[in-house]
Amino acid sequence: MTSFQRWAFCLTVPAALLTLCLYVLPILQVLALSFTEPTLGFGNYVALFQNAAIGRVVRTTVFVSAVTTVLTIVMSYAVAFALVHMPPATRRVALFMVMVPFWISVLVRAFAWITILRRNGVLNSALVGSGAVSEPLELVYNQFGVIVGMVHYMMPFAIMLLYANLSEIDLRIIQAARSLGARPVTIFFRVWVPLSMPGLAIAGLFIVIFSLGFLVTPAILGAGRVLMVAEYISVQISSTLRWGVATALSTMLLLVVAILVALAMRSPALRAAFEGGRK
Amino acid sequence: MSINRFGQDAALIALDKFRTGKIDRRGFMTAMAGLGIAVAFKPGRASAAASEIVVCNWGGAALEAFQKAYGEPFKAKSGIEVVIDGAGPATGAIRAMVDSKNVTWDATDGGMTDAVVLGKGGYVVPIDYSIVDKSLVGEGLAAEFGICNYTYSNVLAYDAKKVGATAPSSWNDFFDLEKFPGKRTMCKWIQGQLEAVLLADGVKPEEIYPLDVDRAFKKLEPLLPNLIFWDSGAQSQQLFRDGEVVMGNIWHTRANLLRKENPNYTWTWNQNLMFASAWSVPKGNPAGKKVFDFINSSMDPEGQVTLLRIMGNGPSNPKALALMTDEDKAVYSLAPENAKTGLAISAQYYADNEAELQNKFLDFISR
Repeated sequence: MTSFQRWAFCLTVPAALLTLCLYVLPILQVLALSFTEPTLGFGNYVALFQNAAIGRVVRTTVFVSAVTTVLTIVMSYAVAFALVHMPPATRRVALFMVMVPFWISVLVRAFAWITILRRNGVLNSALVGSGAVSEPLELVYNQFGVIVGMVHYMMPFAIMLLYANLSEIDLRIIQAARSLGARPVTIFFRVWVPLSMPGLAIAGLFIVIFSLGFLVTPAILGAGRVLMVAEYISVQISSTLRWGVATALSTMLLLVVAILVALAMRSPALRAAFEGGRK
Repeated sequence: MSINRFGQDAALIALDKFRTGKIDRRGFMTAMAGLGIAVAFKPGRASAAASEIVVCNWGGAALEAFQKAYGEPFKAKSGIEVVIDGAGPATGAIRAMVDSKNVTWDATDGGMTDAVVLGKGGYVVPIDYSIVDKSLVGEGLAAEFGICNYTYSNVLAYDAKKVGATAPSSWNDFFDLEKFPGKRTMCKWIQGQLEAVLLADGVKPEEIYPLDVDRAFKKLEPLLPNLIFWDSGAQSQQLFRDGEVVMGNIWHTRANLLRKENPNYTWTWNQNLMFASAWSVPKGNPAGKKVFDFINSSMDPEGQVTLLRIMGNGPSNPKALALMTDEDKAVYSLAPENAKTGLAISAQYYADNEAELQNKFLDFISR
């Protein structure tokens, strides 16, 4: 190490110590509860796997997260792809439009969706009024409503991640493909998609992890009918005082996320994404 | 209801009143100053000074309402300052405080069920009835680990314009989709939900406890497609306003607010489900025994009627009835004509079964 590097390293120590003492240690303390509460041992973990209700909560969470991730990625890719092909002036406006929902509180967005999707809401009134449907559709207080709200929440993140990746692709490669006689569809699937794999992987990972622990949106738009892991944990911590089960479930969630990240990091695409695009 | 959602809700109602100018500014500012002090008592800081009582409630404008109803009268009598901390004494929070031996609250505003649960867990101390006068509260409102500070009810509220010529008058009507088509709302939190279902199914009030859960679920299952579950009082009100539901099982305080907005919304006191909220004292509270003087003083009928007028929370002291106008009585669940057909929610039953039942219920409604 040069003396400059030593200095630089020293400057990171306070922040690292602070995080360790005020964040990592308390979390470990909480996770330790899963082995000590109410009795010493693995009882809580055994209960997790034996409890049919928790099984259902986990299945709901995985299903909703998976659907949310797929829909978000597909739609965000379309938006990011369009952004790359816009003239700069239009792009500035479009990017601003992407960022606006990003700045609005998650609560406000959830309630706004209720206003749009509810039985007498904006959408149903329009549909019934125009004669498209005879009875209002059930669009909220169910899984559909939860997924709509979650996709809406995730899209700005995914768009930004994908856009950063797509805008780094060298357009001369596309011209080369065209000059070799490739049709637009071929170019898209054989050039664009492979080159945007790092972006797709990192955006996908980000959304899966985010979705698994989502609390506010499912609670509001699901209104009791869609119970996901985060809400279940929060009920056990503050209401039913079953801290053992809650912390065991949190530990599992943390473990699943860690495993996902570890697996993802083995893929060259994602390593490339984390190491930056330019070599 | 280990997060006293009702207490939280009452506070929101009062805040709304302040915003719309129904409570004066000065009182509200006093409360805000109180909040400023309360912020200094967050866990991990110095505990309360010996010359004050720290009361923890559910925040919002209940800060100011509690100060008016309980704090000011106590200070006038004893010279001891009452500080209201609106952090919300969820059972989880009290447990965390006592476990870490860092107790900053003297009295907490929770449900009667919480008092039993916390008492069983050793997180709160017994109420000292040598200082607190048991006879000040109505029958069944003084327990070992909690004494009732206010009461409220779950009632059958409905939209008179939507239910047609005959209004629903019992939980039985709540299940009658032919006579009353349309969606209903019930609460996501278990207390007071299955009681209504079982009453509708013909169970006699005296045989409600222990709850026959399977029977209740069987009765409720066909209604599920027509049910929306509310989580907060404000949401229960909004569902009526938006025309999403024709009737619902909601808190009487919210039904009352709805009626004030629009007389089409009203409720029946028939088969109302009566709840008791309670003061508890966390183990190792900073003011020690002094807190019981405060609790005793909070049973004064004048202060309790003040609270009824600000937030709709009903007095626990029967003597308060003599101070009430007819208008006050109309929103008081323990007024004789309202309590006649009421069913008292069993705190003991929930203390033993709530966790299990809440999880079962959430699982059942989310299938």
